[in-house]
Amino acid sequence: MKNKMLLLTRTLLKNGEGFGIKGMKNKVSKVLFALMLIIILPGLVVMFSFFVNSAYSALAVIGQEGVIISWGIAITSTVILLFGIFYIAASFYFSRDVEVLLYLPLKPRQIVGAKFLTAAIFEYIITAAVFLPAVIVYGIRSAVGIVFYLYSFVVFVFIPVVPLCLASVLVMILMRFTNASKHKDTFSIIGGTLALLLGMGINIVMQRFIVNINLQELEALITKGENTLALLTSGIFPTARWAVSALLDTATAAGFLNLLLYAAASAAVYIFLLFLGEKVYLKGVVGLSESVSKRNKQNKAEERDKFLKKHSALRTYTMLELKLLFRTPIYFLNCVIVNFIWPVLLLIYMVMGTEGADMQGMVKQLIINTDNAGTIFLFGIAMFAFVAGFNGTVSTSISREGQELFVKKYIPVSYRTQILAKVLSGFILSIAGAVFMLIAATAVFKLPLYISLLILVAGWMGTLLISFFEILLDLYNPKLDWDSEQKAVKQNMNVVYSMVISSIVGGLTIYAAAQFSPGIITAALSAVLIYGGLNVLVYFLLCKKGVERFKQLEG
Amino acid sequence: MIELIDVSKTYGGTVKAVDNLNLTIPGGEIFGFLGPNGAGKTTTIKMITGILNADSGTIKVNGVDIKTDPVKVKKQIGFVPDSPNMFLRLKGIEYLGFMADMYDVSSKDRTEIIDDLAKKFGMEDVLNDRIQSYSHGMRQKIVLMGSLLHDPSVWILDEPMTGLDPRSSFILKEMMRKRADSGKTVFFSTHVLDVAEKICDKVAIINKGRILFCGTLDEMRNSSMKDESLEKLFLELTENEE
Repeated sequence: MKNKMLLLTRTLLKNGEGFGIKGMKNKVSKVLFALMLIIILPGLVVMFSFFVNSAYSALAVIGQEGVIISWGIAITSTVILLFGIFYIAASFYFSRDVEVLLYLPLKPRQIVGAKFLTAAIFEYIITAAVFLPAVIVYGIRSAVGIVFYLYSFVVFVFIPVVPLCLASVLVMILMRFTNASKHKDTFSIIGGTLALLLGMGINIVMQRFIVNINLQELEALITKGENTLALLTSGIFPTARWAVSALLDTATAAGFLNLLLYAAASAAVYIFLLFLGEKVYLKGVVGLSESVSKRNKQNKAEERDKFLKKHSALRTYTMLELKLLFRTPIYFLNCVIVNFIWPVLLLIYMVMGTEGADMQGMVKQLIINTDNAGTIFLFGIAMFAFVAGFNGTVSTSISREGQELFVKKYIPVSYRTQILAKVLSGFILSIAGAVFMLIAATAVFKLPLYISLLILVAGWMGTLLISFFEILLDLYNPKLDWDSEQKAVKQNMNVVYSMVISSIVGGLTIYAAAQFSPGIITAALSAVLIYGGLNVLVYFLLCKKGVERFKQLEG
Repeated sequence: MIELIDVSKTYGGTVKAVDNLNLTIPGGEIFGFLGPNGAGKTTTIKMITGILNADSGTIKVNGVDIKTDPVKVKKQIGFVPDSPNMFLRLKGIEYLGFMADMYDVSSKDRTEIIDDLAKKFGMEDVLNDRIQSYSHGMRQKIVLMGSLLHDPSVWILDEPMTGLDPRSSFILKEMMRKRADSGKTVFFSTHVLDVAEKICDKVAIINKGRILFCGTLDEMRNSSMKDESLEKLFLELTENEE
């Protein structure tokens, strides 16, 4: 008899769990995805490698280069834990396939095991991006032998196990003993927002401590034993210590023993997870599809009258899109919150640390000189385009329909109106994010008010242009075949493509600003002409090709 | 009235779901659309409602071609899909409000119709709850309500009895009868033959994308020269096809 757990893992992967490559219908999306993987992942590895390399140089002076390995493992484990909590909650409890799996003759541990393995495969990408640079830099610079790389491979294989098990255990216990599973939307929204804030917090700390640290500070930090992150990590993931010892001591039997210990401990933790899954998984998941109903009669008439008032189809459709974006946790985090996170992150980079101070100084210098008003104005316009491209609202608006797309095909509302409502809902969110950023930038850089106002008056054209591009992208390459909302936005390459498009549009604008340093009137006129012209062009393209394409899509 | 003339639909270039189908569904009658699983019932309904595009042929609703004026056709149809699991994050009343705006129903009309239907289906107390919290039958009822807000002249229902309790099922059948009697078109698919036998004025039997029979039950009995139940006639018809 075949191992049911492995069989299930294979089926889940085929069914699109993980990256959904199998679910990609046309060759173009497969090729684009492969290209992204080939370019972005190595890009990340190279980027981190440069950073690790300079850290190595600093650490080597004080003979502490081994810290690279322990930090590498510590950061990888922490990142996997953070991502894991969401991935596991979505996959174990909130995915639509769970209800189907429940009535199959499967043991809970087989479901947990298979779902865990598919999650682990996803985590290897993170592992590769973070852990590989540490291994490569340490390996090359310390001129270690082949054994180090062999050991590293073993560690690589086992790295996701313990953090992901910990995430699974946390989620399973939470679901079993709290009411979280019944209030899944609230749980996801609060949890997701907290995690984003935590992520930003870590980012700020990293900025402060790692990027701007000088040699003396570093030496003091390490000699004083304040190796906080590594210590903290070995507190949370005790097994990581063995992995570090194995990699730093490849010459002796002790190193090998540590490696064995690490592998065995990871396997033991995994087995414990299966055991726990057998005990608590079912109790947490059964009745999940029930959700709480208030059934209150109060304010009934008032509430009812609100929805019985007649509005235009465009307005109601747009409001529906916005409601669903706010009420669906995954959409809320990836389309709404993200809108405000990017601007905040960007400002933090600009305001904090020495590099930030340089940047701030530079911008302020720019602003003092009134000749630069045109350049600054164009920067602002580019920012509006960026913000629109970096939230996945419009670029997933068709994909988010999923199997409900058929409803939009039978309602008597023209495809043009429907497309415009989708653009409009994303446009509203993007504008909110961009204005938020503009206000912050005006305050931080003391932008002259008239420039800010000009940016506000013209910026929407950048937002609209990107939104038009995004809906075209999603109309031609929608991801409709999903069983958990997460796949519609998180595993949707259209989000990445729209970032690329907005970067190109914004980048060209900035390039033009830097190249020609136009005066404010020239800048404003050319922005309005070029962006306005492009908007009109793409709008007509959308009305013709986009509508045609919507017609062809079959629900 | 619904007219399908030489309508074909192929999936993935090879599987012919609907094959040169000709069918006229007049107003004033309850028209049942019967057939085994995978016969092409849902595909046909999806083409009439505009969810799928026919590869060839013409579909007209009250004389309007769906290809030339899809929005006008859709406005005349009230449609109940086979699965009511949609818009789960909306409240029942929000869903109805959305549908009413999509079908351009005035505030006054929608208030009256919603009040009336909610009372009939016993949904008054749950309209302010999210559809997520509804049972399958309640979801079915809210979709049924949504399909009638604009008092459509053509009512198309795909397997409408699934999940309904006996009382609601009875009310639904009564509503179908009332609409047909007032001259409107009622077209529904089912594979519950008992239901079809009791309420249909006419039936069409489809298998492998082709219409095997279309007419009244009496005509069917006459053509087979046997006084048998619909179930037997159905089995004989579809078996000969194998």
